[in-house]
Amino acid sequence: MSRTCGRIGQYVLVLWVAGTLNFALPRLAPGDPVAYVYGGDAQALSERQLAALRETFGLDRSLAEQYAGFWTGLLRGDLGTSVQDSRPVVDVLAERLPWTVALVGTATALAFVLGSLLGAWAAWRRGSKRDAAVTSAVLAVDAMPGFWIAMVAVAVFAVQLGWFPSYGAVALDGQGLGAAGEVVSRMVLPVATLALAGIGGFFLLARAAMVGVLDEPFVRLARAKGLRESRVAVVHGLRTALLPVFTNLALAIGALLSGAVVVETVFAYPGLGSLIFEAVTVRDYPLLQGAFLLVTVGIVGANLLADLAYPLLDPRLRRVRAPRGTQLRQVVVRG
Amino acid sequence: MTRRSRRLAGLGLGLLSALLLVALTAPWLAPYDPTVRVGVPFARPSAAHLLGTDDVGKDLLSGLIHGARVSLLVGVVAALSATVLGSGVGIVAGYARGVVDTVAMRLVDVVLSLPVLPLTIVVGVFAGPGLRTQIFVIAGVLWAGMARELRAQVLSLRERDHLQALLAMGARPWHVLPRHVLPAVAPLIGPQFVLATKTAILLEASLAFLGLGDLTRASWGTMLSLAHARSAFLTDAWLWWVLPPGLAIATTVLAFGLLGHVLEERTRPGLRDRPAAPRRDVPVSAPVVDTVDAALVISQLSVRYGDVLVVDGVSLTVAAGELVGLVGESGSGKSTIAGAALALLPAGATVSGGGVRVCGQDLTNASPAALRALRGNRVALIPQEANSALNPVLTVGFQLAETVRAHRPVGRAAVRARALELLGQVGLDPDRVGDYPHQLSGGMRQRVVIAMALAGDPEVLVADEPTSGLDVLVQADVLDLLDGLRTRLGLAMLVVSHDLPVIERVADRIAVLQAGRLVEVGDTATITTVAAHPCTQALLASAPRLRLPAGQVRR
Repeated sequence: MSRTCGRIGQYVLVLWVAGTLNFALPRLAPGDPVAYVYGGDAQALSERQLAALRETFGLDRSLAEQYAGFWTGLLRGDLGTSVQDSRPVVDVLAERLPWTVALVGTATALAFVLGSLLGAWAAWRRGSKRDAAVTSAVLAVDAMPGFWIAMVAVAVFAVQLGWFPSYGAVALDGQGLGAAGEVVSRMVLPVATLALAGIGGFFLLARAAMVGVLDEPFVRLARAKGLRESRVAVVHGLRTALLPVFTNLALAIGALLSGAVVVETVFAYPGLGSLIFEAVTVRDYPLLQGAFLLVTVGIVGANLLADLAYPLLDPRLRRVRAPRGTQLRQVVVRG
Repeated sequence: MTRRSRRLAGLGLGLLSALLLVALTAPWLAPYDPTVRVGVPFARPSAAHLLGTDDVGKDLLSGLIHGARVSLLVGVVAALSATVLGSGVGIVAGYARGVVDTVAMRLVDVVLSLPVLPLTIVVGVFAGPGLRTQIFVIAGVLWAGMARELRAQVLSLRERDHLQALLAMGARPWHVLPRHVLPAVAPLIGPQFVLATKTAILLEASLAFLGLGDLTRASWGTMLSLAHARSAFLTDAWLWWVLPPGLAIATTVLAFGLLGHVLEERTRPGLRDRPAAPRRDVPVSAPVVDTVDAALVISQLSVRYGDVLVVDGVSLTVAAGELVGLVGESGSGKSTIAGAALALLPAGATVSGGGVRVCGQDLTNASPAALRALRGNRVALIPQEANSALNPVLTVGFQLAETVRAHRPVGRAAVRARALELLGQVGLDPDRVGDYPHQLSGGMRQRVVIAMALAGDPEVLVADEPTSGLDVLVQADVLDLLDGLRTRLGLAMLVVSHDLPVIERVADRIAVLQAGRLVEVGDTATITTVAAHPCTQALLASAPRLRLPAGQVRR
């Protein structure tokens, strides 16, 4: 259990750093912090108006007071007001979040399944021409920037071939079943692009893990038992090789969320990613900071879920019945 | 380095040299100044403008050529800063340990947990767009991974004897670090730097695409950003405005990736792939022409690893109900013979002469399907070190059951009954059927692999060092169990061991192997009392108990 506690401590630390970064950046950046919190053209304001604004946002108080105020606000869910929308940042984020969850969730699942299966297959055939071909192709795709894949996908599949719509997540006038179909067809390209951009990490990890597992004595014994090659590959090879890949799943979600920023932007998909882009373009600082915090919380949440799920997959991490005569203890294999 | 690695490294280096050349000669190579209007806006490709022009009439080809400068500059400088910072922190943390290490590694973990792109965006927006911002934020996220990597290396380096000796003598850090630590970890820093450059270039492109690059300079990311803003991908313009910069980024990143991959492989040989075992486990060679009708017949068997002959013309038979001990020092080829008895040689080993017959069936030219039907069914293996031979994430019962089912179409209940029966046969509590291997003791695990070997009712059992890693009392138990099973089930048993005194208790006959050749074969009593060969005498003398060298004392 101490392992889980340590992890939770780590996550609290991450959230604290992310929050503090949000507090510090407007105050460290060049210029008057008021400009960042107010968002509008601060230079057009008179000194009296600036002073009033400082008071409103509490910028005239001591740094310690401001910091305390910042955290009490944050814990109450107050992320400030979006400059562009004049609405609470929380509301804007809540509107965008589901789209990104759907997009990144589907893409992660797709990239995980395809990447690990392909990687395990390449390891099974390691050293062959087909392995070399697949591995080179994956490395090449992995070298492409996600936003570029997105732009090419729009150009080819939406504009030239006209297979999918290229813009947004919902049809403007859709209703009922047709609207649901629209939502799905508008998801195809962004999901495919994001999955393609994320497949490389899973592939390389699964391939390396599978290569290692195939050299294990238990794989040799599986053959010595007369098991079918397919069973040796799947039950003994893949099942075991997937553990380190799954360990990396939470980290990969972080990478895919990064990818979502640029991919959503190209597809004008109404998620958090394009929100970050819009906030950058109009320099909506409170919105940008709120989105950054939310993404960080998302990654921490994914990590926590993964931590809780590991023992289900790896029996060595479970609280177990120890050999008779010894005391009950937790067996920890990985540090 | 393998030929393939050399080719990949050559490809990476070639691409990088070409890019570097383009970047250095850009002002002369590019037909126009990429920051100046030289044509009509949105011009299609023509002789004057090979890649057309952008929305204000700047030449796109010139932008592409000049873009190499920005990508390489930002990539290399950011990666260099990250490398210096990361290796510094990693080396100091690993060397100092204690509080310094804890604090540094917590920080590293935090940086690695933050979302890379949103973090760089947030910091970048506040710092204002530009090359310096890009370098700063990219280095700010990339150092952490390196620090973690190098710390692990320094920690393990610190455990080495020569460093322990230096530290024990009270050597000061400013002596140890530059002279002993840095040279040892330096080869690791190279590939880390190259791989960081690759990530930095991709990040630079993303930042520039989001409008956080230096807008006054042409870079691949800003070109794509403009193409996006002007919706170039909605027209044919994507062919000359969108494709080339993206391909340039991908090529550069791939070149760094290939080079880094090969460098990393070279510094850590463990990463190198060994080739997969050949599809046919036993290569074709002369079939065994042997008329001896024993359960296991090994005749004139030769095995080589590449050019090295590890088994040289070994002939040995094991009849039903007989237990033959095959002894020899480590490296004498005895485990290779055990593997050959099931046509399961390690990758890289090939049968170069002779062969093996099991129950009258020649393994040399058997099809994979025929081999599968034999293995576990007529000839079974008891592997060495049951701990690693059992799959750690599957229960004992599951691994037993799949062995039972591999050769007989039986129902669920029958499989379970058989698994429990097998556990009983090797003296294990049937309650253990749902346990995972790590929940069992070493002796129990050994019994489980013996039960698995019995699952298919084989005629021949090959035990490869069945008692290694067990304590003396458990060793005796396991050997007695094997001996009892041999008698009860009439098995032909070949037991491989380096421990002659242990095996002599149960073996009917003993074969002594030295450097791939059989030097003595005979009845156990004969071998242990009148052993003539020095190798046999040496093996006898290695007895872990008080005893005069055999040959001097006649019992």
